[in-house]
Amino acid sequence: MFFERIGSILQNYYPHILRGVGYTMLVALVGTLVGLVIGLLIGVFRTIPTPRNKALKVCKKIADGILSAYVEIFRCTPMMVQAMVIFWGFALLNDGRTLDVTFSALVIVSINTGAYMAEIVRGGIISIDNGQFEGAHAIGMSHTKTMLYVVIPQALRNILPSVSNEFVINIKDTSVLNVIGFMELFFQAKDIVRSNYLTFETYLLVAAIYFVLTYSITLLLRFVEKKMDGKKDYQVQGSQNMDAESYAIEEGGRRHDQ
Amino acid sequence: MTNDALQTSTIENQQAVCPIIKVEHLGKTFGSHVVLKDIDFEVDRGDVTCIIGSSGSGKSTLLRCINLFETPDSGRVLFHGEDIVHTKNPDKYRQKVGMVFQSFNLFNNYSVLKNCTIGLTTVLHIGKEEARARAMKYLSFVGMDGYIKARPKQLSGGQKQRVAIARALAMEPEVILFDEPTSALDPEMVGEVLSVMRTMAESGLTMLVVTHEMGFARDVANKVVFMDGGVIVEEGAPEEIFNHPKEERTKAFLAGGNK
Ligand SMILES: Nc1ncnc2c1ncn2[C@@H]1O[C@H](COP(=O)(O)OP(=O)(O)OP(=O)(O)O)[C@@H](O)[C@H]1O
Ligand SMILES: [Mg+2]
Repeated sequence: MFFERIGSILQNYYPHILRGVGYTMLVALVGTLVGLVIGLLIGVFRTIPTPRNKALKVCKKIADGILSAYVEIFRCTPMMVQAMVIFWGFALLNDGRTLDVTFSALVIVSINTGAYMAEIVRGGIISIDNGQFEGAHAIGMSHTKTMLYVVIPQALRNILPSVSNEFVINIKDTSVLNVIGFMELFFQAKDIVRSNYLTFETYLLVAAIYFVLTYSITLLLRFVEKKMDGKKDYQVQGSQNMDAESYAIEEGGRRHDQ
Repeated sequence: MTNDALQTSTIENQQAVCPIIKVEHLGKTFGSHVVLKDIDFEVDRGDVTCIIGSSGSGKSTLLRCINLFETPDSGRVLFHGEDIVHTKNPDKYRQKVGMVFQSFNLFNNYSVLKNCTIGLTTVLHIGKEEARARAMKYLSFVGMDGYIKARPKQLSGGQKQRVAIARALAMEPEVILFDEPTSALDPEMVGEVLSVMRTMAESGLTMLVVTHEMGFARDVANKVVFMDGGVIVEEGAPEEIFNHPKEERTKAFLAGGNK
């Protein structure tokens, strides 16, 4: 019976499957988060206003060029190929000794995701109204503070759907890392099939597991989005009347805290 | 600290002799479009200066040059006698020169209260409790202390502008620049904002206000500057400008645009 066969796979191979799920989720989660941090750093760096100083201007140009190259190279080549190049490239430089596979997987997914995130973050920052920047600069916030306290929080909210999309893509795409022997879910499935020969049943089961993982992540992040939007209403407290006489603004409006 | 003009001690010394802001021969060009030509004027302590003029005459550009949102092409902007056009630290300067915008520019991600405290805690490094107390003081001044938990998108235009004024006030700057603070408001909300500004003027704040509200300029300002085509055509006491304008262009503007 079909369902019995599925059941027996679960029963006999659940340690494999659990380990596969664990590795897949670890790399997808860390890769997405580190990728987001890379994307944020690049996004913020790219929006620094062009310095007036000539030497700094040249430095910024060069750095911008390097970052664009990074983004385009990783966006325009398959992650499976990147994995092979990076993994065996390191081995070549280290007299044939390869890096730890899990560590390599984390690095590859992170920098691959970082390239996509840089573009997503850039879009998120561009979508913020210029008035938000000016409002912050007008009270003396530096570029970094403006980004940190005003722009990035709003941009993050705006890009959250794209970020959760990246997360879902990463859960599925870690499967390509089987080429460097990373023991994620797809790698485990290949392993299982090699001993039970139930190719269709095993991969169908694995497909269902991937679906459950990605769909529950989707739902979870939609919930987070709702949370971030905050309460719809607020409470009015105390008096709402103009109360100008209750104190006097210091003469001339000068600061008097020093 | 790189700029002496921003040091309190220096300010004390120069206060007696220098206006807070002095603009000298200021010029600004966008591409081939000359927007400001040889602008000269000054803002003294306690002055309420209103800048009036038709659309496109360069009023906003002038304020933005003073605030260093635009870099002037020529001339100088002196803050307590020190040229700040090429200052290394515009952020430090902007702490002392507040700005209120036509479009409010409240931070959408923060509550009303946080809008007013964020600058105090992150820029002036004031403690949380003190920042809150100071923000509450100015929010109650503008009559918005009841709304501290609201988000900007939950407020009316007039309420947003009053919060924006409280945010600027909370920094306790030496002068506040206003760029058409009531132009984006429905007529019934203009009054509440102007009344707050009037009280600010009466308490001795130094204000530089670009406005189309001739009634406000006439009653509240002690100096009115009329701009046209990127130059200051005429300036003087409101009584002079409104009742006895010398220049033909001023007369034409007042006859056409007077409300
Ligand atoms: N960033 C810019 N780039 C190019 N031209 C600009 C820029 N900012 C302003 N201008 C031009 O400068 C001129 C003066 O603009 P400004 O906004 O200072 O006028 P204004 O007096 O404030 O007008 P309004 O009463 O409509 O606000 C206009 O012709 C405008 O098109
Ligand atoms: Mg304007």
